Amino acid sequence: MASSTILPTEANVAVAVPMPDILPPVKQRRGFFGFLRRNPTITIGASLVLLMVAIALFAPFLFTRDPTALAPALRTREPSAQFWFGSDMLGRDVYSRVLYGTRVSLTVGFSVAICASLIGLTIGLISGFIRAADAVIMRIMDGMMSIPSILLAIALMALTRGSVGNVILAITIADFPRVARLVRGVVLSLREQPYVDAAVAAGTRTPVIILRHILPNTLAPLTVQATYICASAMIAEAILSFIGAGTPPIIPSWGNIMAEGRALWQVKPYIVFFPAIFLSITVLAVNLLGDGLRDALDPRMAKRV
Amino acid sequence: MFAYTVRRVLATIPVMAIVALFVFSLLYLAPGDPAAVIAGDQATPQDVERIRASLGLDRPYLVRFGEWAFRIIQGDLGVSIFTNLPVTTMIAQRIEPTLSLMVITLCLAVCIAIPMGVIAAWKQGTIIDRAVMGFAVLGFSVPVFVVGYVLAYVFALELDWLPVQGYTPFARGFWPWLENLILPAIALGGVYIALIARITRATMLEVLQQDYIRTARAKGVGQKGVLFLHALKNAAVPIVTVIGIGIALLIGGAVVTESVFAIPGLGRLTVDAILRRDYPVIQGVVLLFSFVYVLVNLVIDLAYTLFDPRIRY
Repeated sequence: MASSTILPTEANVAVAVPMPDILPPVKQRRGFFGFLRRNPTITIGASLVLLMVAIALFAPFLFTRDPTALAPALRTREPSAQFWFGSDMLGRDVYSRVLYGTRVSLTVGFSVAICASLIGLTIGLISGFIRAADAVIMRIMDGMMSIPSILLAIALMALTRGSVGNVILAITIADFPRVARLVRGVVLSLREQPYVDAAVAAGTRTPVIILRHILPNTLAPLTVQATYICASAMIAEAILSFIGAGTPPIIPSWGNIMAEGRALWQVKPYIVFFPAIFLSITVLAVNLLGDGLRDALDPRMAKRV
Repeated sequence: MFAYTVRRVLATIPVMAIVALFVFSLLYLAPGDPAAVIAGDQATPQDVERIRASLGLDRPYLVRFGEWAFRIIQGDLGVSIFTNLPVTTMIAQRIEPTLSLMVITLCLAVCIAIPMGVIAAWKQGTIIDRAVMGFAVLGFSVPVFVVGYVLAYVFALELDWLPVQGYTPFARGFWPWLENLILPAIALGGVYIALIARITRATMLEVLQQDYIRTARAKGVGQKGVLFLHALKNAAVPIVTVIGIGIALLIGGAVVTESVFAIPGLGRLTVDAILRRDYPVIQGVVLLFSFVYVLVNLVIDLAYTLFDPRIRY
C-alpha cells in the first residue's frame, strides 16, 4: 500500500546498467590530465567556467572603462572600435557593463549553490535520521516546493529592497527544499546499508555514523545538485533583475543590462543580445560541468536523464 | 482505489495549508507599509493609523491569518490595495492569455519532446541521439527571455512572419489568437521540451531492455509498433509525472515570457503587483498558481492506473 504511493522521481529510481559479458582491457590514463581526457564534458564545462571566473576577476584590466560612466552625447552607438559591444541609451559602454556583470552572476550562482547545499544538507540529514522530525519537515518542504521557485523568489524580493545579498537569500530559500529532499532520500537508502548496520551493532554513536558513514556518501549527489542549482540561480538572478525585482539598477548585472535594453531592443538589439550570449554560455558551462560530474561521480546515473 | 483517492486528496490539505501560511507570512513580514503608501506623502500619522485600522492591518498575526484563510476558502482573495478591485476580478481579467499560453506550450512541448525522446532512445549512441541530448542541454541553459528575444528578432522583425508582441483574445478568431502565441510558446517551451525529452529517452532506454519488448519483436511487431505502442505505453508513468512536475517551470517562465512579449496575463499582473507592493494581488496570484500546481499533480497521481493497470491501490 504505502510503497505504491512513492513517485518515480530522480531520487528514488535506480537504473541497473547492463554489463557487457567480457570487459575489454582498458589502458586507463591516471592523474589529473587522464581524468580530464576521460571526461571531455567536465573539461569543456570547467574551462568555460574558469574563463568566466577570470573575466570576473580581471574585468578592470580587460580594456574596460567605468561601467557606470555616463556619456549622453555618445548614446546608443552601434558596436565599433570605440564601443566593442556598442553603448546603451545613457552612453555607457555595454562591453564594460557585460564584463562587470559576470561578477554579479557568478557571485549569485556560487553563493546560492553553497548556501542552498549547506542548508539542504543539514535539513536532509536531520530529516533522514530523526523519524519524529521527518514528517513535519518534509511536509514543510513539500509546501515550499509547491510554490514555483521563480514565483517564490519574486515574492520574497517584494519583501525587501533590491540588493545582491537579498537576491542570494531569496533564491536560496526557493531552492534549498530540493536539496533537502535529495539528501533525505540518499540518507534513507544509506541507512539500510549493511555497513551502517554493522556500525550501529558495533556501538558507534549516531553523530559519528552520520559524519563518517553517511556524509561522505551524500557528497557526490550533492555536488552534482549544487552545480545545477548554481546554473538555475544565475538564470533566476537574471530573471529577477530583468523584471525589476532583483539587483539594483546601479549595479551592472546581465539581467539589468537586458532590462535597460528592453525598451530599445527592436532598433538596438545588441544591448540585449550581448549579455544574453554571456548568460547563456555561462549557464551552459555550469550545466556541462554538472552533467560531466554526474557521469564521473556516479556511473550508475550515467545513462539516466 | 477509493480509499487511496480519499487519502491522497486529504494529504494535499496540509501541503496547501503550509503554502497558505507561507504566502501569508511572507507578506505579513513585508517592511513596506501599505497604509502609509495609500495615505500618501501629505498624511499625518493619525491618518496613517486610521487607514491601517480600516484595512485591519493592526491586529495580531494569527487572528489575521485565520480570517484571511477563512475568506480564501470562500473564494474571496481580498481587494487590491492599488486598484480597489477584488483580486478575483483582476485575476479573471488576466487569466485567458496565461491559460492560452500555457495550454499551447504544453501541447507543443508534448508533441515535440516525446517523439524526440523516443527516437533518441531508439537510435541510442548515434548522431541523432547526441543531437537530441545536446539540444536538451541547450534547452536547460538558454534562459526563456533570451530565446524569446532571438525568436522575436528573427521571425518577427527580420522575416516578418509573425507579430512581434501583444495578445489577441480568442473571441477575435482562432488564427489571430494563435499567431500571437506561437513565438512565446516556443520560447517558454524550451526548458520544458528539454526536460520531457530527457526523461522520455531515459525511461524508454530502460523499457526497451525488457523481455516483453523482445517478445513483441519476436512475434513480428514493426519498429513503430514496438516503440510507440509497447514501449511508450510502459514508459508513460515517469513521463507523465515529469510533465506534471515541469508545470512549475511553465508557471515561472510565463512571468518572464509575458514581459518579453507584452502579453497582458497573470505574469504581468504579478510583476506589476510586485513593483507596486500590492500584497493582496501577490498573495492571490502565488496562491492560485500553487493550488493549480498541486491539483494538477494530484490528478496525475490519481491517473496512474489509467496509464499502467499494473498499479493497484
